[in-house]
Amino acid sequence: MMDTAKTTGGVVGTPVPHESAVGHVTGTADYVADIPASVDELVVGFVGSPVASGRLVGVDIEGARAVPGVVAILTAADVPGALYFGPIVADEPILAQDEVLYVGQPVVVLAAETAEALARARDLVRIQVEPSKPILTIDHALTQQRFLGAPRRIVRGDPVAAMAAAPHRLTGVFHSLGQEHFYFESQAVLACPGEDGLLVVHASTQGPTELQHVVARTLGLGMHQVVVSCRRMGGGFGGKETQGCLPAAMAALVAHRTGRPARLVYGRAEDMRSTGKRHAYRTEWEVGFDGDGTILSYRVAFQSDGGASTDLSPSVLERSLLHADNAYHLPDVEIRGQVCFTNHASSTAFRGFGGPQALAVMEHVLREITAHLQGLPRPHGTAAPEVLDVQRRNLYRRGAGQTTPYGQSVEATRLPEIVELLAERSDYQARLVRITAQNPEDPRWLRGLALVPVKFGISFVSGFMNQANAMVHLFTDGTIQVSCGGTEMGQGLYTKVRQLVADAFGLPLTQVRVMPTSTEKSHNTTPTAASAGTDLNGAAALQASHLIRERLAALAATTFAVADPALSPDLAAIVFADGQVMDSRRPGKAIPLSDLATKAWLARIDLGARGFYTTPGISYDYATGRGSPFYYYAQGATVAEVRVDRFTGEVTVPRADILIDVGRSINPGVDRGQVIGGFVQGMGWVTGECLVYDDAGVLLTDAPATYKIPAVSDLPEDLRLDFYQSPDAVGTVVGSKAVGEPPLMHAIAVWAAIKHALSAVSPQAASRLRLPATGEEILRALAHGEQPRALDEDWPHSATMARWPRASV
Amino acid sequence: MTHSAPTRDHVVLWVNGRRHEVRGADTVLTLSAFLRTRLHLTGTKTACDEGDCGACTVVVRGRVAGSWDAIPVDSCIRFVFQCDGQAFETVEGLAAGGTLTPVQQAMVECHGSQCGYCTPGFVMTLSAVHEQARQAGTPAEAIDWPVELAGNLCRCTGYAPILEAGSVALRCRDAPRPLPLANRDTIAAESAQRRRDMLDLEVALPARCHIRRPATMEQALDLLATHPSAVVIAGGTDIAVDLHHGTPMPAAWLDLSGLEALAELSWVNSAVNAGARVLRLGALATWEAVRLACREACPEFAALLARFGGPQIRHVGTVGGNIVTGSSIADALPFLVVMGAECEVASARARRTVGIEAFIAGGGLAPDELLVAVRLPLPAPYELLQLAKVSRRNDLDIATVGGAFRMTVNGGVITAATVAVGGVAATVVRLPQTEAWLTGRPFTPATFAEAGNRAVGEITPWSDVRGSADYRRQLIRGLLRRFAALHTSHASDGAPRL
Repeated sequence: MMDTAKTTGGVVGTPVPHESAVGHVTGTADYVADIPASVDELVVGFVGSPVASGRLVGVDIEGARAVPGVVAILTAADVPGALYFGPIVADEPILAQDEVLYVGQPVVVLAAETAEALARARDLVRIQVEPSKPILTIDHALTQQRFLGAPRRIVRGDPVAAMAAAPHRLTGVFHSLGQEHFYFESQAVLACPGEDGLLVVHASTQGPTELQHVVARTLGLGMHQVVVSCRRMGGGFGGKETQGCLPAAMAALVAHRTGRPARLVYGRAEDMRSTGKRHAYRTEWEVGFDGDGTILSYRVAFQSDGGASTDLSPSVLERSLLHADNAYHLPDVEIRGQVCFTNHASSTAFRGFGGPQALAVMEHVLREITAHLQGLPRPHGTAAPEVLDVQRRNLYRRGAGQTTPYGQSVEATRLPEIVELLAERSDYQARLVRITAQNPEDPRWLRGLALVPVKFGISFVSGFMNQANAMVHLFTDGTIQVSCGGTEMGQGLYTKVRQLVADAFGLPLTQVRVMPTSTEKSHNTTPTAASAGTDLNGAAALQASHLIRERLAALAATTFAVADPALSPDLAAIVFADGQVMDSRRPGKAIPLSDLATKAWLARIDLGARGFYTTPGISYDYATGRGSPFYYYAQGATVAEVRVDRFTGEVTVPRADILIDVGRSINPGVDRGQVIGGFVQGMGWVTGECLVYDDAGVLLTDAPATYKIPAVSDLPEDLRLDFYQSPDAVGTVVGSKAVGEPPLMHAIAVWAAIKHALSAVSPQAASRLRLPATGEEILRALAHGEQPRALDEDWPHSATMARWPRASV
Repeated sequence: MTHSAPTRDHVVLWVNGRRHEVRGADTVLTLSAFLRTRLHLTGTKTACDEGDCGACTVVVRGRVAGSWDAIPVDSCIRFVFQCDGQAFETVEGLAAGGTLTPVQQAMVECHGSQCGYCTPGFVMTLSAVHEQARQAGTPAEAIDWPVELAGNLCRCTGYAPILEAGSVALRCRDAPRPLPLANRDTIAAESAQRRRDMLDLEVALPARCHIRRPATMEQALDLLATHPSAVVIAGGTDIAVDLHHGTPMPAAWLDLSGLEALAELSWVNSAVNAGARVLRLGALATWEAVRLACREACPEFAALLARFGGPQIRHVGTVGGNIVTGSSIADALPFLVVMGAECEVASARARRTVGIEAFIAGGGLAPDELLVAVRLPLPAPYELLQLAKVSRRNDLDIATVGGAFRMTVNGGVITAATVAVGGVAATVVRLPQTEAWLTGRPFTPATFAEAGNRAVGEITPWSDVRGSADYRRQLIRGLLRRFAALHTSHASDGAPRL
């Protein structure tokens, strides 16, 4: 595409407020639950399975049917189209049919005139299940050989031989737990029947097309009979990539059946129990290394808790495989993975998408290597390496022809520079010395310090998903409406799109409005996920803008030339700035964009355009585990310091230093918010957020009273964030880089710092720390460190990972 | 029964300066549901519906000593009948004139919102803080933001931009008022009068529900004598959560909030120890009021109370409610127990005093009795005190284990020891064998390590979502060992602080 016309100045690169900020602070930004009800609207709810596993024997709805105001009660038999759906494998039922697979799985949908009638009717539904023994842990699934999808493997070189030849070898099992998204707006959907079989669905979703597809299939409609629209979400974090499908299908079922608008808004406990979470992982690892800590061979096997249906689990697992290296070169390597079936709500996408689990293992392993070397007798006068020494030895570097285990080049890495710069700015070495000296003296606090680099691949690994479209409409008064397939969940996509389009036309922000995402305007889209929202949709919107601008520039060039015979028409001289269009050779003769737009309309020039963008140059072969699936790597590093109360296991974070490469930021304010917000969310995953189930598979942490996301006082007391300015050009929209997911993984530094703090007591205590490091987990690790033999029996092969907070009962 | 105050069969409240009369079933709606579904003020969000996230925060305005107080409360755990005679500001009321308030403007400019769902709640809390600071002349640097914002959760921002917005807004001196409150004079006149009315609401849900709010102590005791099964409600922060989780609506309520005299805090003389400071806490005193009163008198207790819920809970939750509920993990109870607090109890028949231990051990209230006040002796300067609350999260969490450890050390020897712990038995309990072991022994780590062994023999912890029984035992041992570690200057080889 030719794009020779220019704009000057502009808002790209400036921290303009979020496009909905004024709506947020005045309460006028509407979410699905806020849309005014029409007079005949129905309130929708569901009754879920009371048990985790069993045969569905019967459903007694007679009592519920008798409640005044109840309009519809529907079961699987009432689904007119496809009962099963799923983004990869259609193995999840809209409503349970013959068997139930997890507690809270929707079985019966009810619709009533009022919330009160719905509540009464729900209490009267009786679901009869013949219970069977559920699978509630990864270990149990492994013994039963219950898996979702095929096992995965990426191998390079001869890891077995390299392992055998390595001077040092270590092996272990690492556990990390899941995480609840805790988006503030629960799953919410309003389905409105239109004329002639049309269904308009307002939903809180990251994937409007996916919802449209599922709703159409469920009802036996064509996709052209369903419109899905989303103005904004009250948070998503991956929890609304596929998880909105079920509620949307349920509400759509009611609307389709009754011909009345139907709204379903999940209650908090209902949402927490019945929707998927981040995958818990059990990881077996083995590492071979030399006396300096250089890794010679790495073998790792990820086993994830996929829950009761396939959902996105294979994709999440694949990303774990592709991030097993984090930022380190692994010469001979074998990476395996398997998704385990359990009777939990199907685990799903969550910011990081399998990356965090894999990175945590690698950072754990590097610290185990270090501890091992520190425990060895050294020749006189030589110091044992510190963690950072071992990290430096293994870090990817340029100019060495290094590639990832799957064969993608890492020649663009700036991590060596980032790590050194951060170590210096954070005063890492001096603080490490201070902390090491302090710990034995301090009666109460154990301090710990850790640096963790993060390399995260940007692009959907499934290549076809890297596409986006956008539509730009220029009106004759010089104002613009833009819409794209990407959705707004608070991450600032709309804000960035608005900035890009405003600058493309040299317009003030107020002249550009981002319209709700709708399948009517952007069709066949992929979910807003994988940190790629702006890379894809921003590029598409910019492309559409440039199409229109080119047409306008041609008209302007002619117009200026006609008015001034001394000028020859020159597209390259046309400038869009400050709401004006001018020929740079005659800056005094500018005309308002609105005049030019009107002129174009009269000349029958199209003032609308659709942009379509696909990420270039990416490819990945699942069969061989080889390719370059990522357009580029997001990179950065964090140093975190923690203080652990050795008597109670309570943790505070006195300081964290984050250095991260976001490229040429479109909006530093938005990006700063993404980094700090993602980091704190990651802190929750590695410290206090702990999912607890009972022995029957009931989630006990189903409310904020029991599931503790970070609060304001959990923020690091001293939080320093710097953007690293990489000298490398990247072919993304205006050179910006993804910022959504990587910051979450930076919080692994907090977990690693806790591990470091525990190492002051004993290497065994540090070695035993699992993730999340709750106060209870920290005391458990400390106690085990004190009594290495007495409590060693089931470690590290703990059988009850998903329930381990209760395992010591 | 004599009623001097007028009796009213409907609720009167003000929202953003506008007066509303509420009758029937709507009076037992939560305020958030009333705002959203009846007034269509959907700016107020509910994300948890149980007072644990602050998204639904609104501000109660009340005329106090000539100025307008501004108190953030959670509207999702407050019933409409509790709002009678009160004026509220919601997020819709702030920029009524079209101009953003300083807090709103700062939140916009500092990127204080991302998804926006928690934002109205933060804006309301910040506005209340701003209004209070403006009236008191408090500079931004003097605000303890983590304490003020502990009742609001955010999943997107990581809080840093919101903290910045708070400070920026406070520095904005010549901007419009933080909270406008239209029709203030009219409201002031009527609300004072309405709060003194006797409220008598009969609601068909369709089950009948009778709500009575007496205007005097005599009325309250008479009503309780004639309706002993009525659910007594003070702040209501517990019962509202129970109802949300399916507890049936009670057939009768007795709302004590009209008894303003019961909210008083006063210093009284000790009956047993002349010169000792005793704080008399009216049963309706809020924990925020107690926290402020104790900031200098007993900083350890004030620090513990700063972690008692968030401001939205502390401004509403009462001393009486906390004690009568008598939970094992009630934050304040271990302290009250080690200090030997005494409960004043009244009925239409008689008044009596009962020790806090006996009260929470089950010798509490007869069906016709009310807790009127608690006399809380405060520790002497030479006494050592450790107040602990261990919870998964520092703020806005429920204790896994709580504990109060009070000791006197003389010449390196423990001469008196009182220990009360919560979360490890059915109620908050004293640990008499542990106390006996400590008393007379040298103040050494070994003494406390052995005290831990004794303590775990005295408790009966359970495993639940907040932690295993083993963890709770570890914590009790740990807190005793920490006591020794924190007061090493008192060790037998050091000189005690006297």
